[in-house]
Amino acid sequence: MSDIFTRYGDGSPTRMSKEDIRFDLEEGTRDAADRGKIPALTEAELDRLFEICTMPEKAVTVERGDEVVVSFDAGTLKLPVRAGIPMDRSTAILTHERAFCSDTMELGHVDYSYKQLKAIIHEECQAMEHIQLNTIIPVFYGAMPNLGLYTKPDGPIDNWSELLPLAKIAEAKAAQEEAVEHAVKDMVYVASRMYESGADGINFDTVGASGDADVLATLQAAQILKEKYPDIAIEFGMAGEFVLGMHGELYYDGTRLAGLYPHQQVKMAEKAGANIFGAVINTNSSMTFAWNIARAVTFVKACTEAANIPVHVNVGMGVGAIPVTNTPPVDAVSRADKALVEIGKADGL
Amino acid sequence: MSIEDIIAESRETILQCDQARAVAVAERAVAQGFDPVQVLSEGFSYGIRQMGDLFGRGEVFLPQLILSSEVMKSAVVILDAAIQGGTPQAKAKMVIATVEGDVHDIGKGIVVSLLKTQGIEVYDLGRDVPTVKIIEKALEVDANIIGTSALLTTTLMGQKKLEDELRKNGLRDKFKTMVGGAPATQRWADRIGADAYAEDAAEAVTKALALLGR
Amino acid sequence: MAITHEMAAGMGGIRTAGDLVARMQMTKGMKIKDAKEYVAAKVGVSTFDLCDEAVMKEVREQLDIGHVQARVGASIGMEAKFNIARVLDMKIQAVENFKRKTGM
Repeated sequence: MSDIFTRYGDGSPTRMSKEDIRFDLEEGTRDAADRGKIPALTEAELDRLFEICTMPEKAVTVERGDEVVVSFDAGTLKLPVRAGIPMDRSTAILTHERAFCSDTMELGHVDYSYKQLKAIIHEECQAMEHIQLNTIIPVFYGAMPNLGLYTKPDGPIDNWSELLPLAKIAEAKAAQEEAVEHAVKDMVYVASRMYESGADGINFDTVGASGDADVLATLQAAQILKEKYPDIAIEFGMAGEFVLGMHGELYYDGTRLAGLYPHQQVKMAEKAGANIFGAVINTNSSMTFAWNIARAVTFVKACTEAANIPVHVNVGMGVGAIPVTNTPPVDAVSRADKALVEIGKADGL
Repeated sequence: MSIEDIIAESRETILQCDQARAVAVAERAVAQGFDPVQVLSEGFSYGIRQMGDLFGRGEVFLPQLILSSEVMKSAVVILDAAIQGGTPQAKAKMVIATVEGDVHDIGKGIVVSLLKTQGIEVYDLGRDVPTVKIIEKALEVDANIIGTSALLTTTLMGQKKLEDELRKNGLRDKFKTMVGGAPATQRWADRIGADAYAEDAAEAVTKALALLGR
Repeated sequence: MAITHEMAAGMGGIRTAGDLVARMQMTKGMKIKDAKEYVAAKVGVSTFDLCDEAVMKEVREQLDIGHVQARVGASIGMEAKFNIARVLDMKIQAVENFKRKTGM
């Protein structure tokens, strides 16, 4: 009998029988275990996940005492830019602090890439200094490594996205290696300036969006920053559930980066000196919420078990079982949060 | 050597990116009189779909995927010639683009590479392409299929716009349409009236071949 | 989404002790359990009470580390951060900058 209201990964509402939900939960955890070569959820964990998925309430919450810290990427892009509210970034941060009661916040520029920030670093430093005078919550400065911006026509390096389809593989690899050098310099420069201006932490957001070279550059930048400023707080937020091998033969501390899943990525981040790891598990828009959440929880559980640093699971639109839609429904979002914290043992979101 | 051995070895050459061996297997298959269509579809094509799946799991990487598609192309030349008795087969044509307002094309690039291995002539219009340009190109080259990609929920409507424009201009029956990208689903394809949806590059190949009746 | 996450699983920011626990995760890389225990010990409540608005209102006002409701004479912004650094026995970069610039 189709009696449980639930959704697909694109947010579409549907009704499913209890048997079908249970089946999708089992398939979801099996898929994660198979891909990540990690343990599937136990029967007891699947039973709990089934309860969470089938609770009749519209919104659910974690149990008292299980609350976790919430951090943000693209922090000041949300209210003034995406929501279109005419407010400055300082007001946006104070709104999060005093009205939304966010635990942390992030200052970011609308051109959200470290490369682009060099030219406006003075304005960004000034903004951070002003914000630090007025805020109580910790404020990160964040942007993306975005290695693609170092390629033609945006940068000086040959574009590997054009070279690879032409089977110019050696040239494509060399271009990525060259981009790493540029990106490391920019990330260290911008992060240093922002930290010295009072940032409570530096967020490297969407790490790996341009593949394994993107990850290598960020690891190297984090390592340099940690040597330079031992007290600097670094958050390492990933772009996808596995590191895309655009190069395929890049190593950090003897480990090949391409193909690493969250429980392996976090160990690299730890070695580089990250204080918080932002795990990402992609939502499949074609599959059900049950399938997606079982999969996400399986990956997150393996990641938190492997991690010595806190893991903040990315629960933005399209990741962490959150549906791929601009207005993710509260029922799905709150269930994802509860499951990721209670079963995945996330330290934050 | 049996057809089963030929098929197994064809798959292996793709997975191992072994061009010399792929050419040798294709030549051997033709010399021994095996059905080149079967060798292509069950051997090499199957191998390339396996590579696509492995790429989607992070177990092989983009350079290997590209190399394997180059290997496939070498084998296709030999088998195509045998299929047509030496006369090159008329290629199916596909116009592909990332819709207007969307600059993401890594995934589309992979789809293009794999489609080319199947003997499809692909016209890749790149990213951020207005609907009108997609239709103009499809008419110009007399395409069989139009494929569109969208990575953003905000640009997904570009795929619907293409369907609407094709219908409005009486062109809908002239082309088959395919959609893909993270926010796209089979449900979305059904809603807008697209002919096919593909979740990843490997499925894009399968679906494109199905649309072409191969 | 920010409100949904905060309602479903968040600690509650300066309404409770979310900012304080966040600071320990950020600076010391503490997992959630350790971070909560550290903060609870420093502010003198149980880890369970760290997310209790009624308990933490009094604690925050007493320690003068800033609260969601504005009060005359209460510390805000940098002032509150000075007190947070002292209570949590940690360095806050902006506070250190302030001290340096003002010769404190």
